[in-house]
Amino acid sequence: MNPLYLEVSVVVLGIIMLMAEAFSGPGTKRGLAYTGILGLLAILGATFFADPNAMSVTAAYAKFYSADTLAIFLKQFALGTTIIVLVMALEYAPTVEASLPSERRGAGLGEFYTLPVLACAGLMWMASAVDFVMIFVSLELVTITFYILVSYLRRNENSLEAGTKYLVLGALSTGFLVYGITWIYGVTGQFNLAAIAAALPALDQATAPALLFGFGLVLIALGFKIAAAPFQFWVPDVYQGAPTPVTAFLSVASKAAGFIVLLRVLQTFLVVPALQEKIFPLLAVIAGATMIFGNLAAIPQSNLKRLLAYSSIGHAGYLLLGLVSIGAPFAGTAIVFYLSAYLLMTLLAFLVMTIVTPATGGDDLANFNGLNQRAPHLAFALMLAMLSLAGLPLTAGFLGKLFIFECAIEQQHWGLVIIGVITVAAGFYYYLKVIRAMYWQQPADPDAPEIEVSGLAKLTIALLCALIIWIGVYPAPLLSLLP
Amino acid sequence: MLTILFWVFSVLMLASAAAVVLFRNPVNSAMSLVLTFLALAALFVTLDAFFIGVIQVLVYAGAVMVLFLFIIMLLDLKAETRRRLNIAALAGGIAVLGGFVVLITHVVKSLPASADHFPTLARTGYSDAYDIGMTLFSDFNLPFQIIGVLLLVSTIGVVFLSRRSLR
Repeated sequence: MNPLYLEVSVVVLGIIMLMAEAFSGPGTKRGLAYTGILGLLAILGATFFADPNAMSVTAAYAKFYSADTLAIFLKQFALGTTIIVLVMALEYAPTVEASLPSERRGAGLGEFYTLPVLACAGLMWMASAVDFVMIFVSLELVTITFYILVSYLRRNENSLEAGTKYLVLGALSTGFLVYGITWIYGVTGQFNLAAIAAALPALDQATAPALLFGFGLVLIALGFKIAAAPFQFWVPDVYQGAPTPVTAFLSVASKAAGFIVLLRVLQTFLVVPALQEKIFPLLAVIAGATMIFGNLAAIPQSNLKRLLAYSSIGHAGYLLLGLVSIGAPFAGTAIVFYLSAYLLMTLLAFLVMTIVTPATGGDDLANFNGLNQRAPHLAFALMLAMLSLAGLPLTAGFLGKLFIFECAIEQQHWGLVIIGVITVAAGFYYYLKVIRAMYWQQPADPDAPEIEVSGLAKLTIALLCALIIWIGVYPAPLLSLLP
Repeated sequence: MLTILFWVFSVLMLASAAAVVLFRNPVNSAMSLVLTFLALAALFVTLDAFFIGVIQVLVYAGAVMVLFLFIIMLLDLKAETRRRLNIAALAGGIAVLGGFVVLITHVVKSLPASADHFPTLARTGYSDAYDIGMTLFSDFNLPFQIIGVLLLVSTIGVVFLSRRSLR
């Protein structure tokens, strides 16, 4: 099957949902979300039959679009994330409804289920983008969808503030990206990454500063997307203000797609040894700063969403450490493995949070006090997510960190490995704070009723928990799937 | 001659762009933005990109800015109140800007003088509108299609975020 059909099907699914919403009467719109979930599941199944050789009919597209194993894996990644985000959106629907200016039941919910599907198409295009024009266009599709989703809770000041901040800083980073691309195009005369890699070795040495300048600007823009220090200022406020499912989507899918684009751009520029010497120290500094900032700034946080925002910065640091060690033969797999583990545990944490928050009235750590007495299963799931994020052995998060550190040691980045180990230890402190609140603190209201969990959410939580432990204990099947 | 025109329009463009930020009255800012777009259009014309220059005037200076002014007047926006200057932020901003200017001067200086080892745009004998159309709709077809999806998403967003009451 031609892999181009995958994105087209996702867009068609989005348009079908939009039309169904337009002609449907008032209601909870749950059917729309189920349509989205089922449709995306079907497309997820179809990705396993995508055959890059079938692209010959659309050869003109091949210079923009690559369907290598990395791209296909990331498409599955984006589809999986979107499905779980839709499950979360279903749980979150009452909160959305309460903060929209409307009298009619279910108004505005249809778009809340549809926009993630369209963003998913953008993420899938990003996964395949091997041309700067394509990278720019698909990145913008994803970012503009996120501007809308972040400010979705129109009656909630925090959400609007987050949306405005994200819009202003996102527009700035887009400016950097386009400006960087112009410089690279000016020097090489090419947009296509493969063509740029081919043109680079033959270039005049004197053009190196201009090339590095362009690369630096692109790096700033991508650093903004993956929340690397010092371009991480927007993260805490935006993550905290955005609706919880959107925060999860932003921290998993947007980050993963940014990393894949960064990986592809980096590989293009690494063909020239002279550029390598300049780029690696720069990346190493960013990686170190990101690990330190993310983990240390997370320690004093008292709001779980904000804490996870800082922790997501920290995780970007470990992934960047993987990028710095890209010379190691195993590094590419290690990065993708880390991303997969990160997907499972982050989505699990946000999913539990989406369910608990309406019942306890907030997402401060204090609202999770004594959760074990009220909902032992949810508390266990959140504990598992936190332990995996911290990197406890026998969880997926541990192996992810282990593989990355292995690659870094192989490439002899001792300083970064030491920073990494210290920040992981710091990470244990703040992740355990969440567990302490759930298991050792007394609940505010001991007689509160048990928290209702829908069947679909239960199934998703169980699946994510099982995958975290399974991959943590026996990673071989996933490793064989990875590019 | 072209060099003089380049400098005239560049300085005009940068000055009016700065004025957009510095003016306190939104109407003045919007008018400065029109001037910025016009100067940019003139720069395109000096580069022989007539079609883009015309589109720049029609779409940006014309349609978009009229909409801007219309909204500003409709909402009856007052001049911004004067804020106290945050010295630290100002110093930081100037430092970043200065660093950027130094960097870019260095980069431009390091380029070999004969930087035009790319041929000037090939003349196909057709108008530049034809060339742009061919490039956009045939060579860059896939990104163009994606922009279609992007516009759909933006439309949803605008309708959703700007309606007073959702139905």
